[in-house]
Amino acid sequence: MAKIVDSSHSMDKSITLPPDEIFRNLENAKRFAIDIGGSLTKLAYYSTVQHKVAKVRSFDHTAKETEGDPLYEISMQEEVSARLHFIKFENAYIETCLDFIKDHLVNTDTKVIKATGGGAHKFKDLIEKKLKLRVDKEDEMTCLIKGCNFVLRNITHEAFVYAKHADSEFRFQNTHPDIFPYLLINIGSGVSIFKVESEDTFERVGGSSIGGGTFWGLGALLTKTKKFDELLQLASKGQHTNVDMLVKDIYGGSYGSLGLTGDLIASSFGKSATPDKEFSKEDMAKSLLHMISNDIGQLACLYARLHNLTRVYFGGFFIRGHPVTMHTITYSINFFTKGEVQALFLRHEGYLGTIGAFLKGAEEDNPNQYSWGENYAGSSGLMSTSPDLNPMQRARSGTFDMLEMDRLERQLVNLPLLQDPSSYIPDTVDLSEDALAREYWLYCFEEALDGVVKRAVASQPDLPEAAERAEKFRHKYQHKLQTLRHQPL
Amino acid sequence: AIWGGQSSSGCAGHSMDKSITLPPDEIFRNLENAKRFAIDIGGSLTKLAYYSTVQHKVAKVRSFDHTAKTEGDPLYEISMQEEVSARLHFIKFENAYIETCLDFIKDHLVNTDTKVIKATGGGAHKFKDLIEKKLKLRVDKEDEMTCLIKGCNFVLRNITHEAFVYAKHADSEFRFQNTHPDIFPYLLINIGSGVSIFKVESEDTFERVGGSSIGGGTFWGLGALLTKTKKFDELLQLASKGQHTNVDMLVKDIYGGSYGSLGLTGDLIASSFGKSATPDKEFSKEDMAKSLLHMISNDIGQLACLYARLHNLTRVYFGGFFIRGHPVTMHTITYSINFFTKGEVQALFLRHEGYLGTIGAFLKGAEEDNPNQYSWGENYAGSSGLMSTSPDLNPMQRARSGTFDMLEMDRLERQLVNLPLLQDPSSYIPDTVDLSEDALAREYWLYCFEEALDGVVKRAVASQPDLPEAAERAEKFRHKYQHKLQTLRHQPFAYGSLTVRSLLDTREHCLNEFNFPDPYSKIKQGENDMALKYFQKAVKSLGELSWEQRQFALVRGLLAGNVFDWGAKAVSDVLESDPEFGFEHAKLQLEERPWLVDAYDQWLERLKGPPHKCALFFVDNSGIDIILGVFPFVRELLCRGTEVVLASNSSPALNDVTNSELQILTERIAAMDLVIQSAVKEDRLTLVQSGSSSPCLDLSRLDKVLAGVVRERHVDLVIIEGMGRAIHTNYYAILSCESLKMAVIKNSWLADRLGGKLFSVVFKYEVPPGHKTTTLDHVPVTPS
Repeated sequence: MAKIVDSSHSMDKSITLPPDEIFRNLENAKRFAIDIGGSLTKLAYYSTVQHKVAKVRSFDHTAKETEGDPLYEISMQEEVSARLHFIKFENAYIETCLDFIKDHLVNTDTKVIKATGGGAHKFKDLIEKKLKLRVDKEDEMTCLIKGCNFVLRNITHEAFVYAKHADSEFRFQNTHPDIFPYLLINIGSGVSIFKVESEDTFERVGGSSIGGGTFWGLGALLTKTKKFDELLQLASKGQHTNVDMLVKDIYGGSYGSLGLTGDLIASSFGKSATPDKEFSKEDMAKSLLHMISNDIGQLACLYARLHNLTRVYFGGFFIRGHPVTMHTITYSINFFTKGEVQALFLRHEGYLGTIGAFLKGAEEDNPNQYSWGENYAGSSGLMSTSPDLNPMQRARSGTFDMLEMDRLERQLVNLPLLQDPSSYIPDTVDLSEDALAREYWLYCFEEALDGVVKRAVASQPDLPEAAERAEKFRHKYQHKLQTLRHQPL
Repeated sequence: AIWGGQSSSGCAGHSMDKSITLPPDEIFRNLENAKRFAIDIGGSLTKLAYYSTVQHKVAKVRSFDHTAKTEGDPLYEISMQEEVSARLHFIKFENAYIETCLDFIKDHLVNTDTKVIKATGGGAHKFKDLIEKKLKLRVDKEDEMTCLIKGCNFVLRNITHEAFVYAKHADSEFRFQNTHPDIFPYLLINIGSGVSIFKVESEDTFERVGGSSIGGGTFWGLGALLTKTKKFDELLQLASKGQHTNVDMLVKDIYGGSYGSLGLTGDLIASSFGKSATPDKEFSKEDMAKSLLHMISNDIGQLACLYARLHNLTRVYFGGFFIRGHPVTMHTITYSINFFTKGEVQALFLRHEGYLGTIGAFLKGAEEDNPNQYSWGENYAGSSGLMSTSPDLNPMQRARSGTFDMLEMDRLERQLVNLPLLQDPSSYIPDTVDLSEDALAREYWLYCFEEALDGVVKRAVASQPDLPEAAERAEKFRHKYQHKLQTLRHQPFAYGSLTVRSLLDTREHCLNEFNFPDPYSKIKQGENDMALKYFQKAVKSLGELSWEQRQFALVRGLLAGNVFDWGAKAVSDVLESDPEFGFEHAKLQLEERPWLVDAYDQWLERLKGPPHKCALFFVDNSGIDIILGVFPFVRELLCRGTEVVLASNSSPALNDVTNSELQILTERIAAMDLVIQSAVKEDRLTLVQSGSSSPCLDLSRLDKVLAGVVRERHVDLVIIEGMGRAIHTNYYAILSCESLKMAVIKNSWLADRLGGKLFSVVFKYEVPPGHKTTTLDHVPVTPS
């Protein structure tokens, strides 16, 4: 199964999955979109999946005579359903990936690939040459917001609150039927702040030049460390109080009459003007991280108040799965809004641009008229945040992250009788917050797996390869259960 | 006692820096009577405040006993008296001089009642023991922010042209804001090490609504790390030479141009320091410092703008050491505010920003005296004024090393308020020409005042023939005023907008400083005396004219009277060389109608209508002007049934008639004229003080009593007379009632500017828009 594609190309050995498990269903793929960022490429395509469905059919009642006949007839049929594939990988693999796609692309109707992101320009020629598709550039911010709307609407537990020291690091928000209005803070090189009021109404209400690029650039100048992830790692080990001037450094304690606690940062880098003192790289990186996160947090809070919004989502490479930045941003938002506004992060934040670009290209199919559901079997899920706060991107080197979404046959809405749809939570127990219950249920499902496999095989007595497929199912589900044991979220 | 480095006065044994530019007794003035000390010790500068009293001469007039009056006696007696008035002293110097200064103060402090010194600022703690030991005063700490805001309220309320807008590339770098009566609410952004944002709603209501850790300390700290330059000023200097685009990632660096759909121009900074993550590239110190400055200024600008919008405030003041007089930071903050608010909010800076803390601490200590119940005025003679911004943007603090900056404020005897009849007090600007914006006009007027100085000195000496040291004092006055003029030539914005008014006021302050309270007292006395002799004759000849002829004669007489003005050089020359220059002669000098500005026909039409309820008349000069010009005109108004309020200066300025002189004159005229007599008796003719001691007129700073009278009497006509009050100031003032502005232009340059010639006449009669004209609805009142 693990066939290595095209030995003439130098695919990095560390790729953890065979490419045909990554770029699935390429045969029928159409409507490509690509979002090339500073370090990661995100590819999207629409495809159709042929799969078996069990159909039941009632017998003709008029002719029904014999006592022993079953109530209705069961038949296995092949059905084709729509699926969206999203794959994220490091820019280093673009060429190899494009080759693989080219070789497996059967559908020849596709003429265009929608592209967005800062890198789209840089790789335009390569893409056009390799895929023989015309690169059609889409506005980055429009894609971002379209993508955001899509995941908020279609993916259960897309948004989460980050709480570093809580029992459960991630607290997921229920999907709300009314996702608008919200504030989206995109922290890339700089910061852009969008007020999103409807599918097609959004406005860049503000922004700041103090963003991820500032952390990276100033951090590089201060520490001589040129890599973003390494800077974050330095920051996670530093003590900002060595570099920052705190309220207590000025006033000897808190500034009671103004309600300022002694530990509050009065002046970022306020101590570093001291002559002839050396400061550690870690401390400077930490101070820088706090400075930038606090600043963005305050701006977010002010724009939220100004526009009367309570839902504030954060995205961009500064945030992207980094617990350190999610923590400092969350802290800052809590500080400035006194808890009134929550910093929300998105599980699929990295995919927003490519989802949006894809949607722009698929507008004639009107994908927003359907409901979509995350396919847990085909999606990688959120990566673990290792306790030593090692940046994940390097750890992930050579790994591919996937998201697959099935088009549901029916459009799904709220039960109109829900007292308060926005506070409705279907699940009674959140196992991610309850370690004992989690242990029990994971064990329980593992125990039940044998029986499930047995029943699966038995359900298809006519199909000889059923046993083999059932074993694959066992393997995959067991793997998922293991993953969930370590990453309950 | 000139205090040099080796002088014996109190500092022997202490190493006072040689570079101190002023002897300390010219810095710490009036220490003998000082009480209520306050000190604000910042990171590098100390600001000291104290209250003191100044004894100075005032000229008093007193009517002689009329019963015993013999022919040939002067009209009234003039005497010089000593008066004590209150003054606030504020001195700013580098921390290095604290000890020496404390020693000097200790040695000169006579008043022993003082037990406490109010202290604020981060350094107050550090120097507490030193202060207590040296001065034997208990250091009483006051909350820094409360002091800051109290100080801010005080300067905004009491100092003309305190706040300004900074415009680097404009003709005039500083655009001063007029003092508004309603200073609240406002936003104060204090950029010290960090940033604190205060919403100030009233004297005692303020709240820290926000803040940021990215402030002056961040510029300093990060700047030091990046450039190895440890001095704040040097960092600013580096920044002023750098190119931020080498370090910052611009929108065009990402998108190749502007990001049109989001309205972002290509030159906008997308990411501060966004280019500096590039491996193996070196960045210049200058570029990094510039990028850092932009980053911090833009961030603060955006926060300021957001808090202003959130709290619905449009007045945003900036202060703190990051700002303090640094053109580079004022420029970047201004730029940022303009960018974020699209011009809706202006970044305002304060001339005395560095003093706010110490002023506030002082006020906290002086609460029992309730200093806020008084009005205060900046004393131009004793205050240093705003420092120049040198063109090469060298930081000024180092240049200022060893210099002392001073601010002195006089407690005014009267509380000053707006004229209630100003159409829009918040947009009222008294001065007609802003000399700081008009280089040609500035050159002319500075020259003009320099030319006139000899004459002023001469008259000052002549006014005190009995005092032998008058000549010496007059020379000191000359020296001081000449120095002020020179300062103003180089720093036209030193005391706010430079105007003819501020030049005149500075001269008055300097004259008072050297005890020449009223150089014209004798001249005024003589002229009043002479003019009174002609009063009855003048009234009689007017009475013989027809109604219409008389109205014109009255206006012409008033204008001719106004020709007599020692304040105008063209006239003072004639008066001095030709004492026979008479009233009739003056009439001949007047421009024939049509005048340069001529609304006489409208005025005449108006006079045919019903009488005004009450006229407020701001009078000008003594002598012929007031007696033969104004009084007959006033008499006619009274006859028409209009009440009259005569507003005259509270203290002397040039040959302007003062309130106390006018009281005597009115008594004398009432004694010979029944109309005036009955009007005085029946309270239809009232005298009030304007609260001013300037030859010009600021309608936003008038005696509170005057404002009360205006309301009580329902004044519906304001008459402003003379070049100083109706042309240099108030020419464009819009009132909510009818107004007459009358003047003879006695300055050829100004005449030229206005398109006229010497002795051109301005006769402006204005009716506020929407005001109901009553002229045609009524039968003309038959002239008596």
